[in-house]
Amino acid sequence: MNIDEIFDSAIPFQNRTAAVLDFQLERNPLYKRFAEVFGINHAEVIPAEIPLLPIRVFREHDMLVTGKKPEITFKSSGTGSMTSSRHLITDTALYKKAIEQEFYRHFSKKDFSILAYTPGYSDNPESSLVWMLSHLIDQDDSGLSRFLTLGKPIEKSELEEITEKGKSVLLFGAAFGLLDLIELGSAALPPGSAVIETGGMKTYRREITRVELRQHIEEGFRIPPEHIHSEYGMCELMSQFYAIGGEWFSKPHWVHISVRKEDNPSELCQPGEEGKIAVIDLANVYSCPFILTEDLGVMDEKGQFRVLGRWNKNNMRGCNFLIDRD
Amino acid sequence: MDDLEKHIESISRAVDEWLQPDNKDLKEAIDRTVDEGLFAFHDIQHQIRHLKQTVHLKSLSAWAGRAGLTHTSCSNRRVLCLHAGNLPLVGFQDLISVLMYGATYLGKLSRKDPWLLQSFLKIAENRGLSGMGKWSTKLNNLEGETADAFIFAGSEQTVPEVTETLEELKLIKSQIPSLIRTAHFSIAWITDNSPETMMNLSEAVFRYGGNGCRSAAMVVAPFNLKSQVCSFTDYVDTFWLRNPQHEKPLPKLFHRYAYNKSKGLPQAWLNDFLIEQNSEIPDEKFVLKWVKGGEKEIKDIISSAGEKLQSVYRSDGARLELAGRVTEPLSSAQTPPIWWKPDNTDTIRWLIDHVR
Repeated sequence: MNIDEIFDSAIPFQNRTAAVLDFQLERNPLYKRFAEVFGINHAEVIPAEIPLLPIRVFREHDMLVTGKKPEITFKSSGTGSMTSSRHLITDTALYKKAIEQEFYRHFSKKDFSILAYTPGYSDNPESSLVWMLSHLIDQDDSGLSRFLTLGKPIEKSELEEITEKGKSVLLFGAAFGLLDLIELGSAALPPGSAVIETGGMKTYRREITRVELRQHIEEGFRIPPEHIHSEYGMCELMSQFYAIGGEWFSKPHWVHISVRKEDNPSELCQPGEEGKIAVIDLANVYSCPFILTEDLGVMDEKGQFRVLGRWNKNNMRGCNFLIDRD
Repeated sequence: MDDLEKHIESISRAVDEWLQPDNKDLKEAIDRTVDEGLFAFHDIQHQIRHLKQTVHLKSLSAWAGRAGLTHTSCSNRRVLCLHAGNLPLVGFQDLISVLMYGATYLGKLSRKDPWLLQSFLKIAENRGLSGMGKWSTKLNNLEGETADAFIFAGSEQTVPEVTETLEELKLIKSQIPSLIRTAHFSIAWITDNSPETMMNLSEAVFRYGGNGCRSAAMVVAPFNLKSQVCSFTDYVDTFWLRNPQHEKPLPKLFHRYAYNKSKGLPQAWLNDFLIEQNSEIPDEKFVLKWVKGGEKEIKDIISSAGEKLQSVYRSDGARLELAGRVTEPLSSAQTPPIWWKPDNTDTIRWLIDHVR
């Protein structure tokens, strides 16, 4: 298939999806066996009916279509005793394209310089987040974008260096890392700056809500709430999502997002109804684009979605969790 | 006859009266439970028949002896039982424990099993049995009935939430003893594939639709699933002909089957149940894990399952000690004696030690 077509918004999404599905059925034996159980053996289905592999497939298998070799491998950081996910990337050019197209749709390349702060990720050399940020930093011809030194506050002079060159600061960091920066006594961000937070709310200190996090960032860096954005991404996906000035994420045009019922992943939730976030990411063409995540989410009428956290698995058998709720 | 013997005899008589075939209240409770679709008739019948055979003066006295119960002098202590409702009458043993101990019973009956236990409670109350406190399917109705201890099936993680609710309703004061049951599955260790073993296995796995911590959710066998699946499913079909599965799995189970198939995991799809060959700790209803192995594999599972594991059954009935567990006969999986120890804790003994 012509990979460039994935990013060609002139082609209807359904057609692009059909081509990717055909490719997967031909070149991904694991997905083919999965889809066949649902009676899918050709590409004439609408996206919402395409069977979705549980995301744990990336923990249990090397997902790569036949005939391809990985250029790099991304690994999730993993939590507790959980095995890390592995995403074999066979085409970094495709990954770069997915990163750039969506990022620069929201944040102008010429206007911003990135200051990245990723404690917890930096010690994972196979982190997709660090790779993505490195790539975005490399794209800044001014040379002002960079990773911040861990454990050190942002100095006013560092910010002035950017603003003096006529650019705005874009602080991109893991949620708990941003809180660390504030606690370390970082300088207030200059007017026109923006913050992108990513990653979980669970820290080594305590768990906070997204509302609390946004408040801390607003007060700590003294920037208006509409300049505080979120990124949703994971090592299993080539594409990322941004929530601009709030908590509702939009999607790139080569991605289909839906929310599925926990007890029946084939069934779509209504807008406002919570369920598992399902992703068709055509940029995952060489691994698996049809994925059911373990993230709890909700969609609105406009097709934007919110991430509410991890799905809390309370489906234990036996006597557990059986106390009625009044 | 001392006070304890008299007390046990009065409980035994109440049980006898309750289980009489002409007990209209029990019959009505059974009919209502079936009509409301809460449990299948055959599962209730199984439980009632089992209680009839095993709960009597002799077994209750034996239990008192095992637990070291020597007197009943705790009528001023109140024990709240938050009953689960995953099996018919699953809370019966806890109720009897509290009554045997001589404390006052407070019961939050499950809305999934509201009638059966209540039919016994009415008889016990009418007979003037001591220790009959208050019970309801709604916690709110028990508001202000302060307990000195509580018993429930849940997990350590659910304790703060449950405790908070109970405190709000003034059902407990902080830091009172609580007996929390966390086990949620059992293992069947089979050493042969004789008809008797396979029938016992079907009963151990599929009774109550696989619900309940005594149900076997894992089989360790010297055979691969593939080699046994045809003959085993014949036994399962026979079991289901007599005991059709009441609760059906959710559609997500089919997705699990599809995913297993994509991975090439040996499995058998039985429409209402999935058997898969792997040794992961059971985490979903209507899934039976099949492990090819023996003693070593059992020990590994016991070690990784920790408090999630209830019992280990042996098909030949041998009592073996393995990694701190003593095996039980497979045939007793769904017919335990009244003194069996959920989560390896004798409830009466626990009451003696914690509620004085």
